[in-house]
Amino acid sequence: MVKKKHAFLLMVIPAFVLFFTFHTYPALQGIFYSFTDYKGYGNWDFVGFKNYFNVFQDGRALSAYGFTFQFAIVATILVNIISVLIAIGLNSNIKLRKTLRATYFLPYILSVLIVGYIFKFMFTHLLPQIGQALNIEFLSTNILGNPDLAWLGIVLVAVWQSAAFNTLLYLAGLSTIDDQVYEAASIDGAKPWARFWKITFPLIAPFFTINMVVAMKNFLMAFDQIVALTGGGPGQATESISLLIYRGGFQGGEFAYQSANAVIYFIVIVAISIIQLRVLERREVK
Amino acid sequence: MIGNRANWKVTILLILGALFILLPLYLTITIAFKTPREMTGNLLALPQSWSIQNFLDAIEMTNFFQALGNSAFVTILTVAVVILTHSLVAYAIARNLHKKFYKFLYFYFISAMFIPFPIIMLPLVKQTAMWGMDNLIGLVILNGVMQLAFNVFIYVGFVKTVPKELEEAAIIDGASTWQVFWKVIFPLMKPMHATVAILTALAAWNDFMLPLVILSDSNQYTLPLVQYAFQGQFSTDYNLAFASYLMAMLPMIIVYIFAQKWIIGGVMRGSIK
Amino acid sequence: MKFSKGLAAITLGTSLLLAGCGGDGGADGEVTLELFSNKSESVDTYKGLIAEFEEQNPDINIKLEAPPEAETVLKTRLTKNDLPDIMSIGGNATYGELAREGVFHDFSDDEVLTNVQSSYVDMLGQLVGPEHDGVYGLPYATNANHVIYNKEKVEELGIEIPTNWDEFVTALEAAKEAGEIPIYFTLQEAWTGMSVWNGVAGNLVADDFAERKNNGEASFVEEYDEVADKMLTLLDYGHSDNFGVGYGDGNNAFATGNGVFYIQGNWAIPEIVKANPDIELGTFALPSNDNAEENDLVSGVDVALAVSDSTDHKEEAMKFIEFMISQETAQTYIEEQKAFSGVEGVFQEDPVFEGIRVNFEEGRLTSFPDHYYPAGMGTENLVQDFLIEKNKDAALQTLDSEWDKVQNR
Repeated sequence: MVKKKHAFLLMVIPAFVLFFTFHTYPALQGIFYSFTDYKGYGNWDFVGFKNYFNVFQDGRALSAYGFTFQFAIVATILVNIISVLIAIGLNSNIKLRKTLRATYFLPYILSVLIVGYIFKFMFTHLLPQIGQALNIEFLSTNILGNPDLAWLGIVLVAVWQSAAFNTLLYLAGLSTIDDQVYEAASIDGAKPWARFWKITFPLIAPFFTINMVVAMKNFLMAFDQIVALTGGGPGQATESISLLIYRGGFQGGEFAYQSANAVIYFIVIVAISIIQLRVLERREVK
Repeated sequence: MIGNRANWKVTILLILGALFILLPLYLTITIAFKTPREMTGNLLALPQSWSIQNFLDAIEMTNFFQALGNSAFVTILTVAVVILTHSLVAYAIARNLHKKFYKFLYFYFISAMFIPFPIIMLPLVKQTAMWGMDNLIGLVILNGVMQLAFNVFIYVGFVKTVPKELEEAAIIDGASTWQVFWKVIFPLMKPMHATVAILTALAAWNDFMLPLVILSDSNQYTLPLVQYAFQGQFSTDYNLAFASYLMAMLPMIIVYIFAQKWIIGGVMRGSIK
Repeated sequence: MKFSKGLAAITLGTSLLLAGCGGDGGADGEVTLELFSNKSESVDTYKGLIAEFEEQNPDINIKLEAPPEAETVLKTRLTKNDLPDIMSIGGNATYGELAREGVFHDFSDDEVLTNVQSSYVDMLGQLVGPEHDGVYGLPYATNANHVIYNKEKVEELGIEIPTNWDEFVTALEAAKEAGEIPIYFTLQEAWTGMSVWNGVAGNLVADDFAERKNNGEASFVEEYDEVADKMLTLLDYGHSDNFGVGYGDGNNAFATGNGVFYIQGNWAIPEIVKANPDIELGTFALPSNDNAEENDLVSGVDVALAVSDSTDHKEEAMKFIEFMISQETAQTYIEEQKAFSGVEGVFQEDPVFEGIRVNFEEGRLTSFPDHYYPAGMGTENLVQDFLIEKNKDAALQTLDSEWDKVQNR
């Protein structure tokens, strides 16, 4: 029995050490440096909470938070609505189901960065061509060049790509529902709409919870698609928090300052995840 | 589902949606074959000839095969490491969850799912460079660490459903804990291995941010990173750029075409657990 | 068990592969040096020069790196304590910061120093600041931030090359009336707005602005008012999608006859000519001042060569520097890059630069204002934002506060 105990310990200790060294330790270092004026190189001093106060007064940081949340919330909602719709469609009695399912999942296997470059080309060259041909004012210029519309371009790419994975999760959820439940409902004369809210939705609610939390977290980290599409521009209209930490932390010599930003970001993310789980789980129980 | 008649309305809507999914890929393929002169006309037209010159140029310019090798190296090694080690860790945790230490470990590991990478990025970059890990091996190790949370989560979920009787029988036969794992549990985990392998492979293959900040030497750049690095030199030669993009995406697309059912099945299985 | 055996085989296979490709071939006495460049435009030129150098020095290999967002990458490398052996970077605020950190080799006692123009050595010195008196970079190529014009169109429209602000606006107006795009902007990429900003501010704002700003004696609100107004005036003469077109597409568009004027540096000229080898171009200094005599050409160190102080192969790196500084190499570089040389006795003869030659000959040059702004404040995005929102007061206040914020960090 002692041997068995040792065996289990041996199984987890290396992982624990590695995980601590490359995940927890950098996080602790980040917290440590956030109280200094370290540039990433050279000498440093302790500065107390100065960096934290500065983040709250930093227009650039605040606008990055504003953009990131606006983007993440809209993208999360859209992705989930569209995914549920596609999943229900794919789950109904249709032709070519396998081919269609394979097509809808395809974007998931592609690199976000490269997809971003392809869409950037479409926004720059294809859409204005179509917009001018059809005389649609807002399409006739590159929407990525418009600070009010650029974020929608990023949302579009995010939805195009992320709907794939979420659709699959909802499909998995739908496949757990027994057909007989529907048959019973249709005998009772339930309309399709009522059928969705009364039967389908409650049954896939657990999937909904997970999808919302996972999608939200991924979108809050948005980096690749923004690098590819706008580089944070025009102006600083689409600079996400990840991009700000990367750029400011290295190029701007703001290692310590962006570390403070990262700590704040972390607290925000944890708070949001907890709130989301609480709210969504309560609805499930209901 | 209800009635056996095919629902044509839904079928057609879904086909239209699928066309929207395929449009960017159609553009990528056609533009990759076009010449710059053809770019002034209708962008949606088919290329006048199917010349592979753009691909040859892109291969030479971006040193494609080297990047392909780097991507393949990182992806294969990451998948191997992750499957061999994460399943082991998850097994040990799942069988000891009643003990405080293991319960702590479980939550400690999976809490990382909620920690976005940028938060630890700055110190991590410094640390890995200092320890000489700003290379492909370092990338594999970091991939292993970053994926641990999710993989432990789904492996533990699976091990919990495996009845203990199977192991007990092996123990009576004189097997050690290690042997029980490798001979009984590991093979049983096969469906989970598939899920983990697919998700890990996709994450490692398509990753951009981690290679961007970790790798220093451009000879070690992975495929997405190469596309980024050559943006300035592609400049407005979209034909060359798209040929390069297409080649970077092609390995995964080919794998997907042949293993589509298996991949989709693997991902769905992971989500139900 | 089959499955895990397969995995083991893969692991083994890949680790063998790794062992095979590891190491940088140092076994046979060859040295590999990394040359880091911040310009994607010069990649082909550098490749040619490197091939020549490697032929002369068979035991030295030069590996060129020219990543996008090069300054971010270079700073990342500094954070990693892993600077490239040789750096070919712009003479701007980032150069100054790196030099102040003491990571560059000091050329003070090297003979190559006598071969480069001392006025540009001083310009680089100013970026580093008075407390550091070494020479941390060699001015290799210098640039001109000017207005490029389409000769054919200018002649067709009968436009005289403007020498002051009023003449410039008149010329723009004439182009507009003729149905042409007066200025082709490429403001999707924020940095291209800085070509305009520097061109306008170079002749309107005093040279010591940055120094006084750091001492709290000057502000954008007070001294950049006219600059901001004139920026907006120029923007009126753009095209329908000023913020939707990037630099690469803009070069193509201008090369194919879109736009009469193009406010860019000399580095854009080879790119334009590549897109349309038949185009005839001319250049002149942006006449932002109302007074023709006050209009100088904005010029700076486009390429400074620096060597890492901690490189293991300094001797070889210096060999490469000497090769670069030689008359022949310098001539090849400026001819291919349409740049101006920092090397003594090497002149740019291309007729494209007819209009600004006098500036070089008479020394009527002024430096890039933004090279003295702090690197972390993201000026280009702030300027881009200003051009989109067109809110002068708010934009100038933001510039002031961002500067103070970065200083304060």
